[in-house]
Formats: sequence, structure tokens, C-alpha cells
Amino acid sequence: MEHFIETIGRNMFAIFGVMALVGALLMIGSRSAIHSVLGFLFAMLNIAGCFLALEAEFLGVAQILVYAGGIVVLFLFVVMLVEMSKKKEGEVFQLQSRYAVVAVAGGAALFLAVFRKAIFGAPSPEALVLRPELAKGLDVAHQNAQAVSRGLFADYLLPFEILSVILLVALVGAVVLAKTERV
Amino acid sequence: MVSLNAVLLISFLLFSIGIAGVLIRRNALIVLMCVELMLNAANLNFIAFARHSGSVSGQAFALLVMGFAAAEVAVGLALVVALYRKRDTVQVDDINLLKG
Repeated sequence: MEHFIETIGRNMFAIFGVMALVGALLMIGSRSAIHSVLGFLFAMLNIAGCFLALEAEFLGVAQILVYAGGIVVLFLFVVMLVEMSKKKEGEVFQLQSRYAVVAVAGGAALFLAVFRKAIFGAPSPEALVLRPELAKGLDVAHQNAQAVSRGLFADYLLPFEILSVILLVALVGAVVLAKTERV
Repeated sequence: MVSLNAVLLISFLLFSIGIAGVLIRRNALIVLMCVELMLNAANLNFIAFARHSGSVSGQAFALLVMGFAAAEVAVGLALVVALYRKRDTVQVDDINLLKG
């Protein structure tokens, strides 16, 4: 039993990754839009688990908050607003589905063939480090949120500020697009 | 210990599923979700490379990508709602005004 639990603990990433793939397949395969959203939610939660397995604790929790807490709820709202009211959709998949699947599978095979060294090579993981002046008084390996914030607010302050402007523009744009003609 | 290869493989498969979904689904909402899935695959790669090069930049950028994804979803869903008001459909192949 202990051996079993230990095996699971060592393969946490693979388990979460495979479950994320299952969720993604459910998302693109199910006929009902609600089921698709639930598959999306399942995939996002499992990707958060992958982040945790990769020792990015802050990002794992942020993933759960942003996706499961915000984006999935937004999608559910719009699905219920749009889908439920009118007639059922007839065909779920596009006419060119067969060719699209073949093309994606072919592209994936080509990609794997070209990058098989990068994907199946064997690099070793390294511990996270910061510039010495940033890492002062911080245990970088064990304080993930603090390490990320010091990197973000020192080296990447400008992208961060630009992101805040983009979020503002998106907010205004979404309101303008979604509001009705007559006010 | 997670090897970089496993992460690259998973994120590659997630990205492929995302592309396939964008190409085969007719519902614009599901197309948007597939785009989100592809962004997440890219995030997974960012974090894997951050971990395997020992730099914190990858995690910082993954956080920024998450913010962009949120902005994109807001605008995309507003477009879908506006489209539904105007054309009464969210099926992408019913929206063919620019088709010759």
C-alpha cells in the first residue's frame, strides 16, 4: 500500500497531465455545450495540478482562481444566455472535420519527427534562482510566490504595467461590444 | 522529479487538441475555449522551462499570459453575445458575410 501511494506521488504530473488530456478531448468531443464547458473546467483544474507538480505553487493556485473561478463561470453564463433559448444546433462538427483531423495529426507527427530530440532527450531539472540582489533574505526554492513576485516586479515591471492597460482596454471594449444599441 | 520531456509531450498534445477543436467545432464558444486550451499549453511550457533552466522569468511570463487570456475571453465573449444579438446564431459557419 505504501509502495502504491509512493508510486502515485512520484507520477503526479503524468496523472494530472493525462486527466487534462481526457478533459480536453471531452471538451472538443461532446455534443452539448454545457458538457464542453465542464470538460474545459476539468482540463483547467488538472493543468493547475500539473503546475503544482512542477513546483509552481503560486501559478497553480492562480490558475484555479482565474480559470475555475472566473473564466469557466463566464463561459457558463454565455452558454446559458445563448444556447438554451433558441433551437438546438443541428450538426456539431464542421464539414471539413475529417480533413482537419488528418491535417492536425499529420502536423503533429511532423512536429514530433522534427523535435523528437528535444522531447525525448534527457535534460535534468534545476532549482529556481534569482539575481543575487533580488534574492536577498529569501529562500527561493521554498517561497515560490515571493520569488515570482520579486522577478515580476523587478525585471518585468513594464510588461506587467502594459498588461494592466490591456486589461482596461479589454474591459471597456467588452462593455462597448456587448451593450445593446438603444441605451 | 518530472522530466522536461513529459511536460513537453503533454503540452504538445494539449496544443494539438486545441488546434483540432478550433478547426472542427461549429460553436464559437467552444472555439474560444480551444484557444484558451492552447494558451494553457503554452503556459505549461513556460513553467517547465522556468523549472529546467532555474530562472523565475518563465513563471512571471506565465502569469502575464494568464492575464492576457482573461482579457481575450472578455472580448471574445462580448463578440459572441453581440453576434448572437445581430445574427441569432453562434455557429461559425453561419457567419459567412465576407465569403465571396
